[in-house]
Amino acid sequence: MSNLDAYRSKAAAWLESVRPTFGKCARKGLSEADDLALGRRYQKAKFDAGYAGINWPTEYGGQGLTHLEKVTFEAEEMKHGFPNAYFGISLGMPVPILMQFGEDKDFVRERVLKALQGEEIWCQLFSEPAGGSDLAGLRTRAETDGNGWKLNGQKVWTSWAQYSDYGVIVARTDPNVPKHKGLTYFWVDMKAPGVTVRPIKLAGGDSHVNEVFFDDVKIGDDHRMSPVGGGFAVAMATLMIERYVATDSGGFGPHLDLFIDLAKATDFGGKPAIEDSRIRQQIARNYAMRSGLDAITARAMLMMQAGMTPGPEGSLNKLVSVRSRQKLSELAIDLQGSSGFAYDAHGFVKDNWTNSWINAPTGRIAGGADEMLLNTIAEKILGLPQDHRPDKGVPFNQIPA
Amino acid sequence: MSILYDEGQQAIATESRRVLEARVSKDELLPLLEASGEYHTAFWETAKEQGWTALALPEAYGGLDLGLAELGLIAHQAGRTLSGAPFLTSSFGAAKAIERYGSDAQKTRWLPGLASGEIIGAVAFAEGANALPAAPKLTFTDDRIDGTATGVAGGLAADIAIVFANGPGMPVLAIAELAGVARTAIASFDNSRLFADLGFTGTPAEALVTGSAARDAALHILALQAVVTAHEQTGGAEALMEVARDYALTRRAFGQLIGGFQSVKHRIAELYGLVELARANCIHAAARAETPEFILAAAAARLSATEAYDTAARDCVQVHGGIGVTWEAGLHLHMRRARSLALEQGNSLFWEDILVDRLTGEAA
Repeated sequence: MSNLDAYRSKAAAWLESVRPTFGKCARKGLSEADDLALGRRYQKAKFDAGYAGINWPTEYGGQGLTHLEKVTFEAEEMKHGFPNAYFGISLGMPVPILMQFGEDKDFVRERVLKALQGEEIWCQLFSEPAGGSDLAGLRTRAETDGNGWKLNGQKVWTSWAQYSDYGVIVARTDPNVPKHKGLTYFWVDMKAPGVTVRPIKLAGGDSHVNEVFFDDVKIGDDHRMSPVGGGFAVAMATLMIERYVATDSGGFGPHLDLFIDLAKATDFGGKPAIEDSRIRQQIARNYAMRSGLDAITARAMLMMQAGMTPGPEGSLNKLVSVRSRQKLSELAIDLQGSSGFAYDAHGFVKDNWTNSWINAPTGRIAGGADEMLLNTIAEKILGLPQDHRPDKGVPFNQIPA
Repeated sequence: MSILYDEGQQAIATESRRVLEARVSKDELLPLLEASGEYHTAFWETAKEQGWTALALPEAYGGLDLGLAELGLIAHQAGRTLSGAPFLTSSFGAAKAIERYGSDAQKTRWLPGLASGEIIGAVAFAEGANALPAAPKLTFTDDRIDGTATGVAGGLAADIAIVFANGPGMPVLAIAELAGVARTAIASFDNSRLFADLGFTGTPAEALVTGSAARDAALHILALQAVVTAHEQTGGAEALMEVARDYALTRRAFGQLIGGFQSVKHRIAELYGLVELARANCIHAAARAETPEFILAAAAARLSATEAYDTAARDCVQVHGGIGVTWEAGLHLHMRRARSLALEQGNSLFWEDILVDRLTGEAA
């Protein structure tokens, strides 16, 4: 048994041992507040057992292991429906960026330790009403104010902002230069005066994303995480992590085995639907796609193990997997016919086809819309031209609104 | 077996690409489309000279003792430049059947010639839509074969064929010499594949496997060939993606390169996705050649490679506009090959069934 296999079985055993306390059965019927409280205890349990910050430096409370152990643990963890979504963004992007770019090491260490133990949550304040895919078109302003800065503007689609203690934010510090060059990156205290968080109810019925308003929010210059005007590079570093962490070939929806189980259990014309060749075709096509993505991931992991840089094909994962999950979820609902109308807004996207279906569009937009990912493949990998951009090189305050 | 190519394997890819690009041109391939019974002899001579025919066969019989991964790398390059004959796959399948299931005498008789390329092999299982018929019409009685094998790739040139026939109350996997069979050339859209119907009338044959194991053996041979073909398809798809990209970086319309239009660049980016999924499945399948999940992995490789090549053929022509449909541009060479390879070693419907049977536990 390889070291990684040993790690996997040890992790699986631990996850199994905490499943009764934190798994999806324990979460059934909980209010969101109680579920969050359970989630904080789960995160603390992970920390105590050595499964938090798996590939983070030990000086920040991490385990000092590699990306391989992290992915291995997450693949096992995914099976049980634990209340870990509240920390997904926090520990995924903002806190690693804080470790990388934060200047005050004592402050950083304190924040990282609290975040790893579920005591504090961080959000990522990027998208705005006027700029999602076109991130550099954002309008939130940071103006100098004494020795510090004053924030004014609005962010949107901010996951878990309603529970966040801190956030990382990109704001415009100079409207007189082209849009990418006038941005600066800060962290901000979400409890500071002038910060207003308003949850947005999404299509599926839950409200994990928010609008966040900043009215004369004062922050010190020690909150700054990039050179003045150098914020776009740090924002790109943040987004690279976001795209890279997507390695679930099921597109964050149910495993294909669950579709096969459903097709076996469904009577269609007096026979199990699994005997219907249209259903079989979709299973075959999905399997081939998922096995290709899994093989790409496996190859990337071997390359990292060998100290090599994985190929750019890793960027396909989110693009390919979420679209196909969307279609397969539609088919799974179809398959149930008149039994397919049921819906529980609090169901789990990893084992409920209807929840998977209704939340799938979010996955195709968040962290880079499909179209942006295709642009990236076309431009960065294949060397095709950039789109026509009329605002290129134009000072931000001269771009027609 | 690793899914990361080592230095030796990378050298095989580089060298075979260099040789093929130097020796194969579309000007030589185009006339073959309108000729019957002809193949690109320079391609086959190159395959023999470079040792590709011997690559995946045992050293004891003149082979080089390498495996499916290495042969796949050659097939990938052959797919890029359009292989001029089907024998790389067909002879490999025939040789593997003899190596796995034949007697020492049969191996001694056939394998050295197949390894050197002097003997050409074919695999003739298909009857129309059935890549591996449940009840083959071909019969095997007293070491003689009767009936017709249809659409055999390489059938016009092969010296021997592996057949799947109905024996006395049980299926038989057998090897037949083709010296006396009636070969009817199929006027095809891809003539250098040398497709033929083979009419057996009391043709002498030797059984390799009889009884219920014969079908599993035949499927294994088909899966080995399917993985080689999948590499070839992926190579073809990759070449088309690059041709489309290069054209989009050259052709201008409405005052800009057409590659700047999202309808064009996203189409090509989607091809990149299909090619990489197919490649990953191919590498995975080649690395699983002697494991229980081989058939499943081969089916996944085959399905994704067929989809990649067919889609690349459609979209690459579309990106080219009018020039893409001319005889001279030659994109139709790939369009034709994408379809002929989609049928050889069993169509997608066949492999979908094979895959799902295994996933759902309906196949042992």
